[in-house]
Amino acid sequence: MITGAALCPSPPLLSPQVTGRRPVLPELRAACAEAVRRLVAEESEVVEVIGPAAATGAWDAASRLDLSAFAPPNASRGAGSPPLALGLGAMLLDQAGYAGPRRLVAIGQDEPAGACARRGAEVADGNARTALLVMGDGSARRGLKAPGYLDPRAEGFDAEVERAVRAWDSGALLRLDPVLARDLMAAGRPAWQVLAGAMPAPAPACEVLYRDDPFGVAYLVAYLRPR
Amino acid sequence: MSTSHEAEQLEARPQGVLRLRHRDFEPDQLLVMAIVNRTPDSFYQPGLTWDPAAAMERVHAVVAEGADIVDIGGVPARPGDEVDVSEEISRTVPFVAAVRDAYPELVISADTWRHEVAREVCAAGADLINDTWGGWDGRLIEVAAEFGAGLVCSHAGGLPPRTRPFRVAYADVVADVLTGTLALAGRAVAAGVEAARILIDPAHDFGKNTWHSLEITRRLSELAATGWPVLVSLSNKDFVGETLDAPLDERLPGTLATTAVSAWLGARVFRVHQVRETRHVLSMVSAIRGDIPPARAVRGLA
Repeated sequence: MITGAALCPSPPLLSPQVTGRRPVLPELRAACAEAVRRLVAEESEVVEVIGPAAATGAWDAASRLDLSAFAPPNASRGAGSPPLALGLGAMLLDQAGYAGPRRLVAIGQDEPAGACARRGAEVADGNARTALLVMGDGSARRGLKAPGYLDPRAEGFDAEVERAVRAWDSGALLRLDPVLARDLMAAGRPAWQVLAGAMPAPAPACEVLYRDDPFGVAYLVAYLRPR
Repeated sequence: MSTSHEAEQLEARPQGVLRLRHRDFEPDQLLVMAIVNRTPDSFYQPGLTWDPAAAMERVHAVVAEGADIVDIGGVPARPGDEVDVSEEISRTVPFVAAVRDAYPELVISADTWRHEVAREVCAAGADLINDTWGGWDGRLIEVAAEFGAGLVCSHAGGLPPRTRPFRVAYADVVADVLTGTLALAGRAVAAGVEAARILIDPAHDFGKNTWHSLEITRRLSELAATGWPVLVSLSNKDFVGETLDAPLDERLPGTLATTAVSAWLGARVFRVHQVRETRHVLSMVSAIRGDIPPARAVRGLA
């Protein structure tokens, strides 16, 4: 069963280790910290981090964020390093002081919605009381200065994701088009669809803690608690 | 040959802490020493800070721009009107005292070769004696020891103060710089100057032609390998001007290029006119080295 779910984006700049001496997006970092604080405060037996990656699969729960590819002065942690989204999830758990059991699970970026939903249902149907940390980003094409330049469809896509999370419209999340999401550089799609498959009815209580696109990428931070 | 090469390897010593006033500076901290001339006739922007109020304004400005040290001098390096001891004292000592009042923790360097002047400026609050003329006055070291001050041990090729090089020749200018500065540093330690407060300075342009100054820059790592902190004074000097065929007011790019190369090769203190620009160059070098992170990095990381 699911005790709660935190939604956080997974930009490298979430880690202070890559952003230099000045604080970068302290509001975003504080919102993520708050969502994870609430998550680990639940009486769960395990936290499962779900993050989009090249391929579906579980990673060693002891593995940690490896920033060497993004900021070379940071030493590599070796070949066993998890994908960025899972590494950042692990970082958030560490920052929250969480030392309990955890799972790091990657969901492939090309995984169809049905497979994502089934993965979510498996978690929900398991015996363990599980807290979910869902790492996912919206479109990176939200303006002329955005990493992927402007795509006029981005705003509508991200607005629909936010609406679906707030209103808990899991069907809408499952209907997100993988091809459109990929075109819009919205990496969070498969992770949100895992969440859609995991969250039981009735609709959870939702609080959005942050939503903005300061660098042209949509970041959504929220906490969901089953009723 | 291999034996002498091994000997050089053995002689290389790591850089340690540089102690100035109450502070310890690690080897990866690059320090800016801002020039404040109490003269009417120094070579660069003559008379700019001859007026005491203008000189204090300059101190405020360079501190705001990130200077770690101010270097106060009362006698120009080039030949000119005689400045005797009492005149040098009257130009520098009250000003050093005023700067000390205004900035209790700022590191103050006094640019003088005379022990009588050094004694007065140290009493007024100076922390470092910048002896640009290579130990011309043997008693200067005693003053540094007596006051617990630091000392810059320079190489001027044996030239008397305020003289210009004339047909100077060295079999190996770097070897001569090493011999001269290490001898001074050794003498200073023996006289009781704290080793962590001693720097060496190859003294570009002093007793050197442009080829010599380029050579000591090219081989600056040999100076750094002594373990003594290296100070370089490059700012707008003639070797930059001759190298680029650039008049005085067009020497900043050449100065900054030399600054970057010197920092890369191991210099730690940079005596300059342009503090802000130098600070940027040094921060850039430190970041390239990986000694400091960028100020703010978000490009490609969103």
